[in-house]
Amino acid sequence: MALLKVKFDQKKRVKLAQGLWLMNWFSVLAGIIIFSLGLFLKIELRKRSDVMNNSESHFVPNSLIGMGVLSCVFNSLAGKICYDALDPAKYARWKPWLKPYLAICVLFNIILFLVALCCFLLRGSLENTLGQGLKNGMKYYRDTDTPGRCFMKKTIDMLQIEFKCCGNNGFRDWFEIQWISNRYLDFSSKEVKDRIKSNVDGRYLVDGVPFSCCNPSSPRPCIQYQITNNSAHYSYDHQTEELNLWVRGCRAALLSYYSSLMNSMGVVTLLIWLFEVTITIGLRYLQTSLDGVSNPEESESDSEGWLLEKSVPETWKAFLESVKKLGKGNQVEAEGADAGQAPEAG
Amino acid sequence: MGGCSGYWGRGWEDAQGIGVRVALAQLKPGRADSASCPSQLPSLTPLHSLGQRWEMAPVLPLVLPLQPRIRLAQGLWLLSWLLALAGGVILLCSGHLLVQLRHLGTFLAPSCQFPVLPQAALAAGAVALGTGLVGVGASRASLNAALYPPWRGVLGPLLVAGTAGGGGLLVVALGLALALPGSLDEALEEGLVTALAHYKDTEVPGHCQAKRLVDELQLRYHCCGRHGYKDWFGVQWVSSRYLDPGDRDVADRIQSNVEGLYLTDGVPFSCCNPHSPRPCLQNRLSDSYAHPLFDPRQPNQNLWTQGCHEVLLEHLQDLAGTLGSMLAVTFLLQALVLLGLRYLQTALEGLGGVIDAGGETQGYLFPSGLKDMLKTAWLQGGVACRPAPEEAPPAEAPPKEDLSEA
Repeated sequence: MALLKVKFDQKKRVKLAQGLWLMNWFSVLAGIIIFSLGLFLKIELRKRSDVMNNSESHFVPNSLIGMGVLSCVFNSLAGKICYDALDPAKYARWKPWLKPYLAICVLFNIILFLVALCCFLLRGSLENTLGQGLKNGMKYYRDTDTPGRCFMKKTIDMLQIEFKCCGNNGFRDWFEIQWISNRYLDFSSKEVKDRIKSNVDGRYLVDGVPFSCCNPSSPRPCIQYQITNNSAHYSYDHQTEELNLWVRGCRAALLSYYSSLMNSMGVVTLLIWLFEVTITIGLRYLQTSLDGVSNPEESESDSEGWLLEKSVPETWKAFLESVKKLGKGNQVEAEGADAGQAPEAG
Repeated sequence: MGGCSGYWGRGWEDAQGIGVRVALAQLKPGRADSASCPSQLPSLTPLHSLGQRWEMAPVLPLVLPLQPRIRLAQGLWLLSWLLALAGGVILLCSGHLLVQLRHLGTFLAPSCQFPVLPQAALAAGAVALGTGLVGVGASRASLNAALYPPWRGVLGPLLVAGTAGGGGLLVVALGLALALPGSLDEALEEGLVTALAHYKDTEVPGHCQAKRLVDELQLRYHCCGRHGYKDWFGVQWVSSRYLDPGDRDVADRIQSNVEGLYLTDGVPFSCCNPHSPRPCLQNRLSDSYAHPLFDPRQPNQNLWTQGCHEVLLEHLQDLAGTLGSMLAVTFLLQALVLLGLRYLQTALEGLGGVIDAGGETQGYLFPSGLKDMLKTAWLQGGVACRPAPEEAPPAEAPPKEDLSEA
């Protein structure tokens, strides 16, 4: 009662082996693709680690890189096996290794599936890291003289220009922090002194944003300062004005960018996983059909290939029994050792 | 053809070299054993026969026994793959240039012919790719007797098409790559002047995109103005719609200007340099007292210092230069591949299309008697104007027989 039995004659076996050889080399290419996808994601995360507090999780790109390398190794090995499978002498060398190798392949496929799932599910942690990192980044915007943080202004400006976003959740985040360094404030000016006095913490807060928040699609030159003061600008109503600044927050913009990246990588990985499963099934059929050729001299004879020798419940029972036997085998050995020692002692 | 093919083959047996010696060997009277090739020689004077030998010799022949033939086919296969690769690279480069020009098209004057270059290069690259693939197929087939017969009929027209079409296109594209970048300077100047002048016209149909495009240009290419930020001082870049007519400063400025433009010493936000340590100063730039604590040691960090004209010119000239060098390399490769294919084809024709024959054969560029073919065509064209010279008929007959045999 074998599972999914298929009859194989010599020609079919040869075709299977050749097809599998070709598919294995394609999947080495697929492994290289997964590796480069993981590398790309890792580089993208590193590029913006400044706004992610340097604490972002690199689990997804690292696992993609590892899976890519493993896939290349396993599939080139499988290609070699398929190439040798048609020669009975060479195949006899591989025969004892095939069963453990297939078990490892099944394990590899399961892990690949889990990695593909991770690509879709791990955006939640990214959201938190981004929110925290952006808040800190905006806090250090003005510290262009502090070593270690002097690049933050440039990073945030380039980020807002590239991703077409402003602030953490919106442009009003800039109203709550002092983003103009004290060094460039004229403390002899009355206006500056008033603002600082009216603030509890002594910070100079304005209802203005940096230039990188400006939207080039706006029909009028960018209004960066006194944004909420309608009377400061001719024919301006800040409630209805939508094109002046970017409305999206940078957290949402970055999150959607990384989500779309990881989603597409997940889709590609799933497709490659399906391909790998097909290869594993084909390899299993090849192995069982070649084992079915009882007499190695008669390599022309027909044989049968199957996925599992018995049906699924029987295979599961046999597996459990072999595990139990392994446990009992240790016990028997231990008893034998005790018995052996006892006569010696006695 | 059958009688004279043996004649050709035997003529090469002791012919070591190329050209004249081969031709002379072929013309030795004792070697002419076939009845279908009579009387070409005895009636000719020695001088005339020398001239005949030159006319009857194929152009640039090359003896190709089996091993060199195989080497030629293998080398041709490699060269063809290189040619296909070069064609593909040209396709990518010209596609990239076309995409860039789509974005930068507004900053080039409409009369500029520069976009013709990537279009011509695209066509040349496609033809080079095709030639490379044909070369791969033909050289592969020439090593395999079963694969060659379908190629026999097709190869001739393909070679003609490749030489005329591909060579012509490549020469045209190369010429454009050398000539066109020179016209970029004026085109960019005109285009940028127009773009900056229309920056404020965000509500005028046809020019409403100018502001967005200029801002994105300055943000992406890190430049400001045409040759510097002061270009903005001479242009009204604030739309009149957003100018308060009741404001005294505005009214003063407009009145003091001859053309009634509102000019300021300020620049748009896209000129700002993010590397500056202080928030961007956009207004009152010529007034050194307007911004306290403005560090004179760091005047250049506030705005981008480069002008967009220089940046764009360098960018486009670099792209055109890369494309031009790729075109030159492809031209060389294509010439080599076409030459090799021609020699291979004629050598295999000499064997009658049978690949595996170990015999020697000769490859050539043009068949013998090409000059006579051309001369005949010329004479036939001019026969109404003047009588044909006396030697022409006997001189024509043997080459005609050669032609019918070859």
